Amino acid sequence: MPPAAATKLGYTPPDGGWGWAVVFGAFISIGFSYAFPKSLTIYFKEIQEYFSVSYSQIAWVSSVMLASMYAAGPVSSILVNRYGSRPVVLVGGVMVSAGMVLASFGKTIVHLYLCVGVIGGFGLAFNLQPALTIIGTYFQVKRPLANGLAMTGSPVVLFTLAPLNQFLFDSFGWRGSFLILGSIVLNCCVAGSLMRPVNKTARQKPKTEPAECNGAAAEEAATVDTSAQSDNLLTEENQSEGRSQGCVHRFIDVSLFRHQGFLIYLIGNVVMFFGFFAPVVFLAPYARHQGIDEYSAAFLLSIFALVDMFIRPTTGFLGNSKWIRPRIQYFFSFAVSYNGLCHLLCPLASGYSGLVVYAVFFGLGFGMVSALLFEVLMDLVGAHRFSSAVGLVTIIECGPVLLGPPISGALVDIFGDYKYMYYACGVFMLAPGIFFFIMHYFNYKRLDEERRQSVAAEMRTCEEAVQLKMSQADKTDG
Amino acid sequence: MTASWKQLFFQILLLVFCRHINTKTPGPTPPPLAPSGPLPTDVRSVVLKGESQTEKVEVVNQVNLTLECTWAGNRDKQPNITGLWRKDGDEIENSLLTVQLENEQYNLKRVFNIVSEENLGNYSCLFGNEARIDFVLAAPHMGEVRDKPIVGYVGDTAVILCKMEESKPKPSTWNWYRMNGTDKEQILPAAEPHRYEIKNQAEKTKLLVHNLTEADSGLYYCAAVYPISTTMGHVELKVITFFEPLKPFIAIVVEVIILVAAILLYERSRSKKNYAAGNETNDQSNTLTQGENNGLEGSSSMRQRKV
Repeated sequence: MPPAAATKLGYTPPDGGWGWAVVFGAFISIGFSYAFPKSLTIYFKEIQEYFSVSYSQIAWVSSVMLASMYAAGPVSSILVNRYGSRPVVLVGGVMVSAGMVLASFGKTIVHLYLCVGVIGGFGLAFNLQPALTIIGTYFQVKRPLANGLAMTGSPVVLFTLAPLNQFLFDSFGWRGSFLILGSIVLNCCVAGSLMRPVNKTARQKPKTEPAECNGAAAEEAATVDTSAQSDNLLTEENQSEGRSQGCVHRFIDVSLFRHQGFLIYLIGNVVMFFGFFAPVVFLAPYARHQGIDEYSAAFLLSIFALVDMFIRPTTGFLGNSKWIRPRIQYFFSFAVSYNGLCHLLCPLASGYSGLVVYAVFFGLGFGMVSALLFEVLMDLVGAHRFSSAVGLVTIIECGPVLLGPPISGALVDIFGDYKYMYYACGVFMLAPGIFFFIMHYFNYKRLDEERRQSVAAEMRTCEEAVQLKMSQADKTDG
Repeated sequence: MTASWKQLFFQILLLVFCRHINTKTPGPTPPPLAPSGPLPTDVRSVVLKGESQTEKVEVVNQVNLTLECTWAGNRDKQPNITGLWRKDGDEIENSLLTVQLENEQYNLKRVFNIVSEENLGNYSCLFGNEARIDFVLAAPHMGEVRDKPIVGYVGDTAVILCKMEESKPKPSTWNWYRMNGTDKEQILPAAEPHRYEIKNQAEKTKLLVHNLTEADSGLYYCAAVYPISTTMGHVELKVITFFEPLKPFIAIVVEVIILVAAILLYERSRSKKNYAAGNETNDQSNTLTQGENNGLEGSSSMRQRKV
């Protein structure tokens, strides 16, 4: 990675040390954010009988929770921009805990919608965003690996919560389980306390020999907008000008909508999320439709989760390698396209062994995309604007995430066959994958061009500075 | 209707025909009880593949059930073989007869009058000692019933559910019973409307127990009533107080508080150390570069820090 990028942050990220404790904290926060709504489905059957409601009404609890989590993204970003990651995660953990405790006393289903859905969802959003943001502040060189490790939290926590929830349900019924889950989720506060704000007073040591010239170059890079990522100029200006910049910029950075990389990411992701989660939801029903018994169908999901668990840190490690890191956007495009191909080929899988193979390949693809999802966004917009970026992305992704599974379900109901749903999901993922490849090719070309220009400009100013000094020295001598 | 008339006609034909052939051994007994008209008839035929086979027969209403066994025989196809009917392991009276080999097959057939619960059970037709077909006559079995106890809380409501599978015939009605000592006592919501409530739908039933107390713990039986018999299922209810889950809750909250405090304290002590270390190195560099005054200064500041 070119050293100029590190200078843009204004400090040297530790890339280790306490950073690994922060990764562990992020692991827990991200894990709860993604796995908690999924793991609650174990209780739905009993709650449905208890309140005498239909299954779709109870499934709304999960949907409301997911919707709140995504919709609260910008709120979370604003708070992180203002107060930093740690306070927001602490508040988030307390919110989810309070939501679950209140829900355990619930008398109607609406009570559950509000407590588990809205309050819980907001609390989880306050966990997700800061966890992702703080990784960007602690890591630069090893960032893909840190991201991959942190995102592994999701399958690991899901794997742990699923049998735990079953045990709690058998011992305490749904009310007692909600109460105890409220305390378990409070561990997000422990994760939050690990998220110490990074020490920004560490200065970069000049590495190259002509110390003066490099010092001048460093100044230039810090102040002049010749940097490859034009977004950082605004950040530098923000830091120097402070409040005079305006309220909006301090809260959320809407100028991101003019950032080319961000727009590519946003458009591709919105289409992709229509087909991202549906195959996971329908894996077990599809298996049962093929005539496979319930336990083997559930085992398919376990295989998928296990493969997912191991592929995420591996992807992070690969993304960190010197061949892939500079062109990590292509790696992401490949992962998305691979997912699409997997789904398109799924209807060809026959019998249980075919589905096992599909589950393994799907697990690979899903894990790869998940591990890189936020890393590529950080790569595009930089750590400073990441917080705002992720807030904007999540609220816009809210729609596809919520609509995806019902649309797929409707496809299954209309055609009575799962293969059309898989074709649709395959197309929803392959098209963005190809889109990413093409757009990022042009984007990289543009970035490389800008970098060449900035290096040329630096060399010119450097020479001028040296010449100026020499002429001054001559004057004093003479 | 035509089908059952055909059955009746066929049975009468068989009666006549068989009586004509088997003069020594008694033929299949004619339908014994008087009302053969009102009772519907049904036939279950099984062709044996292998040495033994079991066939489950679901019986809902009273019926004249004809059970027919067909066996292809051994390698050495003997012209005659003894045929026997058994119920629950006991030989049925006058059921032993000799079966002739017809069309390379041995055939055993008998009509059974299924009118009450005691007529249900395991009926077997045996060919000598070599082949056997079991017919298990039973009312439809209960669908998925929870085998682990349902947990309820004191003062809350408990919902106990019993369900018959969608594909099985629906019971005429549902009853609920509670274990009282050694026998089952029926739960009548009319007697205690504030405590019990029964909601019946054709294929499932729900018992709601309001204002739970710990005495309500125990086994509850749901009975699906069919004309022929009733099928029972049982569910256990466990009533606990709110203190039960409160204990792990408090334990985990305490653990979280301890961990958060430990982490924050560790951080504060490290930052103090760093600050102190930072000051120390500054003072040391001062004493090295400058003269005695600074040495005095350094030591005085160190003294101050100690204080």
